[in-house]
Parts: sequence; C-alpha cells; structure tokens
Amino acid sequence: METNKPVVRTPMSPRKQAIISILIILAVVILTVFMFRYPERLGPIAVSALVVTLASFLLLLILRHFVLIWFSFLHQRELSHDEPPEHYPFVSIIVPAFNEAEVIHASLASLLELRYPYYEIIAVDDGSTDGTYEKMREFEGNHYGVRVQVFRKENSGKADTLNYGIRRSRAPIVICMDSDSRLTPDALRYAIRQFTDPNVGAVAGNVKVINRHNIWTKLQALEYIEGLNIVRKAQAFFRSVNVIPGPMGIFRRTAIEGTGGYDSDTYAEDFDMTVKILADGWKINYEPKAVAYTEAPEELLDIIKQRYRWSRGILQALRKQKHLLTRTSGVITTPLSLWYMIFEGLVWPAMNIFSSLFFVYIALMFGMQKLLVMWWLLLTLLDVLIAVHAILMEKEDLRLAAYAVFYRFFYILIIDVTKVFATLEELVGLDMSWGKLARKGRI
Amino acid sequence: MRLDWVNILATVIFVSIVVTLILAVASYFAYKVREARRPKTAGELRQEGQMKAFFNQYEPKK
Repeated sequence: METNKPVVRTPMSPRKQAIISILIILAVVILTVFMFRYPERLGPIAVSALVVTLASFLLLLILRHFVLIWFSFLHQRELSHDEPPEHYPFVSIIVPAFNEAEVIHASLASLLELRYPYYEIIAVDDGSTDGTYEKMREFEGNHYGVRVQVFRKENSGKADTLNYGIRRSRAPIVICMDSDSRLTPDALRYAIRQFTDPNVGAVAGNVKVINRHNIWTKLQALEYIEGLNIVRKAQAFFRSVNVIPGPMGIFRRTAIEGTGGYDSDTYAEDFDMTVKILADGWKINYEPKAVAYTEAPEELLDIIKQRYRWSRGILQALRKQKHLLTRTSGVITTPLSLWYMIFEGLVWPAMNIFSSLFFVYIALMFGMQKLLVMWWLLLTLLDVLIAVHAILMEKEDLRLAAYAVFYRFFYILIIDVTKVFATLEELVGLDMSWGKLARKGRI
Repeated sequence: MRLDWVNILATVIFVSIVVTLILAVASYFAYKVREARRPKTAGELRQEGQMKAFFNQYEPKK
C-alpha cells in the first residue's frame, strides 16, 4: 500500500538547490575533462591509489557474496530441522490500502484461502478515492470462522493506517501486509513456527515478484531472490534481519506495542519499525516458506520512483536512529545492522558506479582492454553462480539465472545511479512526496 | 582475417556501461520531470493549504 503523507524535512530553497546541483555537475565535468585530457598528470601514485581502491572493491564484492552465501546456507540448514509449531496462536492480519482498487480484491481473497485455523482480517481504507473501500466491503463479515472487519478513515498515511488497524486487532501475533500483495496458503503456518523462540519479536516474510512479464519485472524477480532474500537469510542466521518487508511482516504484539507503533516521520516505515524492534532487544528472524507475492513496477520510471523512495526513506530512518550507530550497550547486532545498511545504501552504490567508470577509463586511456574483459567476466560469473545458488535454494524458476548477465552492468547500475541521486537529494534536503505507483492488477 | 575477441568484447562492455549510465541519468531526470508535472494529490494540496472543498458538509439542525 502506498499513500501520501507529509514531507519529512523542510526543503531547501530552490536557489540553493540549483547552486548545489550546478556545482556538482560542474565538478563532475571538470574532473572528467581533466582525466581524459591529461591522463599523464594523474601521476603513477594517483593511478596506483585508484587501482588499489578498485582491487579492494572487487575483493569486498567477492567476500560479501561468499559471506552471504555461507550464512544463508547455515540458516537454511537450521530451518530444515525445524519442527512445526505445537499450537497455532490467534493472528490478526492488517491490510492498509490507499487507492488500490485494482488489486485489493485479489489480496483479500488470498487471505481467505490461508491454511490456518484461527485468524482475523482487518482491512483499513486510508481515504481512497477509487472505490477501494467499496471493494473491501464485499468481504466484510464472517467467512467460515474468519472475521473480516473493514474500516474507513481520512487519508493520513500508511504508518498511521497500520497503527489504526493494530489498535483494532486482538491477537498476540499481528501481520502487517501491503494491499498489493498476496499471501500463499501456507505462509502463515510457516511464519508462526519462528515464534516458538520467545525472544523473536518479528519475522520477515519471503517476498517474490508475481508479474514476471517483461525484462524489468524479471530482473526485479531475480533481485528479490538473489539480492534481497539471500541477504535476509544471512542476517536471519544472527536473528537480526534489518528490513521487515512491507508485503509481509509478522510481529509479536508486545514487540510492536513496545515501540509505540509505526512512525509517520520517514518514507520507510518498515525499516524504521525494524530498527526500533531490534533496538528494544528483540530478535528478528526470516521465514523463507512464508511467501508473499507482490506486484513489481513494470516500467523503468516506476522502478526509479520506488527505489528513490526506498533510498530516501532508509536514510531518513538512519538519521532518526543515528544514536544507535554508536550504542555500546545491548546487543551488538543492532548497530552492526545499521552500519551494514549504510554500507549497502550509501557506500556500495557509489563504489559500483565509480568502479564501472574507472574500468572504462583505464581500458580507454591505458589500453587495458584485457583487464576490462576479465573484470566483466569475473563479476558476471559471480552473479550467475549466486543467482543459480539462490534460485535453487528457493526452488524458483532456473531460467531467471540468465538475467544475471544483465543484472550488475545494466540493472544494478541504473538502480545505483538512482540511489546516489536520492542520497544527494536527501543530504541537501530536497522536497519529496510518497510517489504512488500505478497498479496493473497482476496479483 | 583473425578477430580479436578481447577488443570486441571490451568495446561491447565499454559501450554498454556508458550507455547504461547515460540511460540511468536520463531516466532519473525524466522521472523528476514527470513527478514535477503530475497533478498534485489531495494529501499534497492539503499539506500546502490549497485543498478546496467542492461541497460544504451538511449538518442537520437539532
């Protein structure tokens, strides 16, 4: 679900924004011209420094991939020994929606097909204007023991809508999901088994892309499997998943209430909530068999819109929780999770763009084509191997592995450029809005 | 004539990286232009104090 809510920071004046943008563009142009016009003036020390940086980047990339694979494998092995839960607690499912008429029917229908004995559904319309509420009302009532309640309120944002639903729920376990998502029939049954550990405050579900129609959605499907889920799996080995995804987050009521509920002051309320739960000392696990399918944006500009919001939202939440970065008391995994997020969100995209540009520059100016080809082959091979590993672990469509060839040098590069721009805009405090995505009704 | 595969591949990689970066930057600015041109939502108008009600709410006299 997406909705509109107030901007987080006071925007910078347009004059100041324009000056900063011009200065950045000017600096990039001058540097580029200098590097191509006078490569010899860079000097051997500067070139060596750049080569060392790039070598470190490659090493870091390989290390990152292998660490992720190793810990995700350990988590998977742990799960294979897991027993089903002894009892099934009562669960409340909160479905917030704002202008989701295209998808809300499929989403609520999927909830009525859950193979779980004891749950309720609370659907909250956040002041939609497209008939979402009317479609929700069709489900109101009792469906073979599952009570569906539908509420409508004035538009106030996703965080507030989730809190509204949570306040009206009764269960000790609460599921917060997006209205453009669809849960698989066994999702709830598998998710619940993680709560047998009393220290687990929340569980992240396994989000997959449902609309794999074109190259963009197929690349996102691969990204969710290879990029996002494998990271969650590795983090789950330490019970410190740092983003509980919006399409499926399962929470212990005491954990969510202890944080005071969702806050409306960032554009990444899911990440913000995750950090608050970790900061309270709860463990957060990941359940790969709790699958939720979501509709991914089908066009490039919509992907950029979504990632722009994610990036800025994460930075806002990080800024808000910056005191946790240096926290020495409590569990060490909380500051580590935040530092990892800074690395993935800020450092990594800039390094990826820089390394791509630098290798092109080296190849062009110093005739090192072989190095460029080796670098490309190495990274592509690494991506294909990891894609195959992740796909096999998830028992997914192996054909998706072919898209790994385009993944790093095409798709991730575009996403990283967006992340860098979003970071710069967040740092200078540019105005932003939620950015509602147009739904195609694919779920 | 013998093909130099390293050079061909290097050229393909070089062109694809440069084109992708240009596409990425251009797409980002296209997205910003599209966002600037889109009609404002009720939430944004309300936030800016420009939200106009079409009707006044009817309140029956007691």
